[in-house]
Amino acid sequence: MRRNSRELVQARELTVNLVRRELKAQHRGTVLGRVWSLATPLLLVGLYYVIFTYIVGRPLVEDLDRPDRHHVPFAVYFFAGLVIWNVFGTSAATATGSVVGSGYLLRKVYFPRAILPLSTVLSAMVTFCFEFAVLLVITLVFVGLPSFQLLWLPLILVVVGVLAYGAALLLSAVTVFLRDVAHFIGVLLQLWFWGTPIVYSLSWVADKDSRWLLRILEVNPMTGIVVSFRNVVVLNRPPDFGLLAYDLAVGVVVLAVGAWVFQRWQRLFAEIV
Amino acid sequence: MTEIAVSCEDVWKSYRIYHQRSHTLKEKFLSRRNRFEEFWALKGIDLQVPVGTTLGIIGANGSGKSTLLKTMARILTPNRGRVRVNGSMSSLLELGIGFHPELTGRENVQLSGSLLGQTQREVEASYDRIVEFAGIEEFMDTPVKNYSTGMYARLAFAVAVSVEPEILLVDEVLSVGDESFQMKCYERITEFRRKGRTIVLVSHSLDTIRTLCDEAVWVDGGEMRQVGEARDVVASYLAEVHGGPDEDPILAYTGRRFGSGQAVITDVRFLDAQGEPTNSYCTGERMTIHLDYRAEEVLEEVSCAVSIFRAEPLVHLWSQNTREAGLRLDLAGDGSIEFAIPSLPLLKGGYLVSVALHDPMAKKIYDWHERRYSFMVFENPNLPFAAGIIHVPTEWAASPSHAPA
Repeated sequence: MRRNSRELVQARELTVNLVRRELKAQHRGTVLGRVWSLATPLLLVGLYYVIFTYIVGRPLVEDLDRPDRHHVPFAVYFFAGLVIWNVFGTSAATATGSVVGSGYLLRKVYFPRAILPLSTVLSAMVTFCFEFAVLLVITLVFVGLPSFQLLWLPLILVVVGVLAYGAALLLSAVTVFLRDVAHFIGVLLQLWFWGTPIVYSLSWVADKDSRWLLRILEVNPMTGIVVSFRNVVVLNRPPDFGLLAYDLAVGVVVLAVGAWVFQRWQRLFAEIV
Repeated sequence: MTEIAVSCEDVWKSYRIYHQRSHTLKEKFLSRRNRFEEFWALKGIDLQVPVGTTLGIIGANGSGKSTLLKTMARILTPNRGRVRVNGSMSSLLELGIGFHPELTGRENVQLSGSLLGQTQREVEASYDRIVEFAGIEEFMDTPVKNYSTGMYARLAFAVAVSVEPEILLVDEVLSVGDESFQMKCYERITEFRRKGRTIVLVSHSLDTIRTLCDEAVWVDGGEMRQVGEARDVVASYLAEVHGGPDEDPILAYTGRRFGSGQAVITDVRFLDAQGEPTNSYCTGERMTIHLDYRAEEVLEEVSCAVSIFRAEPLVHLWSQNTREAGLRLDLAGDGSIEFAIPSLPLLKGGYLVSVALHDPMAKKIYDWHERRYSFMVFENPNLPFAAGIIHVPTEWAASPSHAPA
């Protein structure tokens, strides 16, 4: 018992240290440091805004009005979707390298291997916190005060966390045996991004005749997460509980499969990586 | 019953040696199956390491020593059998584990410490000691990528020797680093032993195994050839490496104990200049050998003899007994004898010691411990370098050469 609790403490501290290392190492030596992690999403928002406003002619989402009649510009709407998507997208993308890139640790010390994908998800969560702070400021300036709906945020984070950690476990283990996954997931995430209502809204798809896109959106577990997050943070609306429940169910299944695969294969990591 | 710290129960471990690893999809599907050979690195190891024991693992290269250590460390999982560990464990398989070049010395100490199985509180408690030992206090907030190789090594080493687990696994870390590192490493391991912690040590240096370990296991081709007292196992190993087992009768004599038992040597300890127990000295330091004895009857004019040998190759260097030294010794009951060399005239290497109690002419042997004890000597940084076995104080002089005018 004593040993187990000690190992648990150690595992927790090691996770914190690895997350800290990952985050610090990312920005060490740069003058602007953390600001850079905001540069990418902000640049994306600016770019898409220009494309849809001046080149396409109109945004895919008409500027919405909140229940309190505050106006929600497309850029804010899009940024909110991007911020929550990044939790999953960054986790999945970096998870492929989390075990493969730690060979020197795996071969030299013992620690619960599942810490590696966990620390990638947690670093994505930390980055999310910074982006979320910026989102809040932007929302305050361009839209208005958020409502009590914001209290649903922890629930949404749990759902996206479960899904992201499940995917990270699965991807980090599979990549050890099949390096192609790292490249494949890069392409897949691009498609997945467009198959999620981030740049457009669910209702925009429903209005069109493209049933197949609607099918994809219904199956995609990120749909409910993005819609609900945007609802509670920007639009002052309740989360879409139906979709969110489905997302959680998918997340639990992915987590179970990921944990099973990881558990089965982790004994070979130190030899193969 | 003694408590077991680490136990291996019928541990088998195999590696797959792929002739061509397929890492990509194309290779995976185009070649019908992966061609690999199964190589058994461990074949049914059964081993118990009792709490408080220092166990050495010896064997030729590729015999499975490191695989066994890594299996104990839970880095590798056995194919069959199981490893049970009872207590907190750290494995020192490499210096500077987890060091990241972009992080500062302070941050790396934390990270590396937690990878070595320490809690944050333990790392903080030993932080000052680490910094002091590394001697780079003013650089602790500098990224380690800006360190010199020496500074990096010192910090890595300081972290490694700061760990305080109940079970310590060490693989050849001792052999890297300079003289003062090795010396410090020895001191730490000796200190560990005194505290009754468990240590498992893999080393190519038989001197190290003999000096530091109580027990040793000889691994050969993934199987255990011999387990037992370190000096016995090292002796049989040496005998095989140097030829047939009975080729060198002197070598086979190592560790033998005999005598009538009228008086027995109950304990032998090596002490440093401060009177603290140690197993390692620098050339020129004071060495004291402390013997405890018990005499069952009154024995008059007893001789206590001490012999010193170079371990490899085995050379008898020096012997003396109390009679020769002009000390009359009468034994009755319990007592102790101290023998000191004020300035140890030996150079770097491993040495063996015999001690004996016998009558003046060595006709009646009461108790004889033939090369049962060992110590290590390290280079003394304050003395000029010299090669060989013995330290000779020297004076050099040169006359002007006759250069053509």
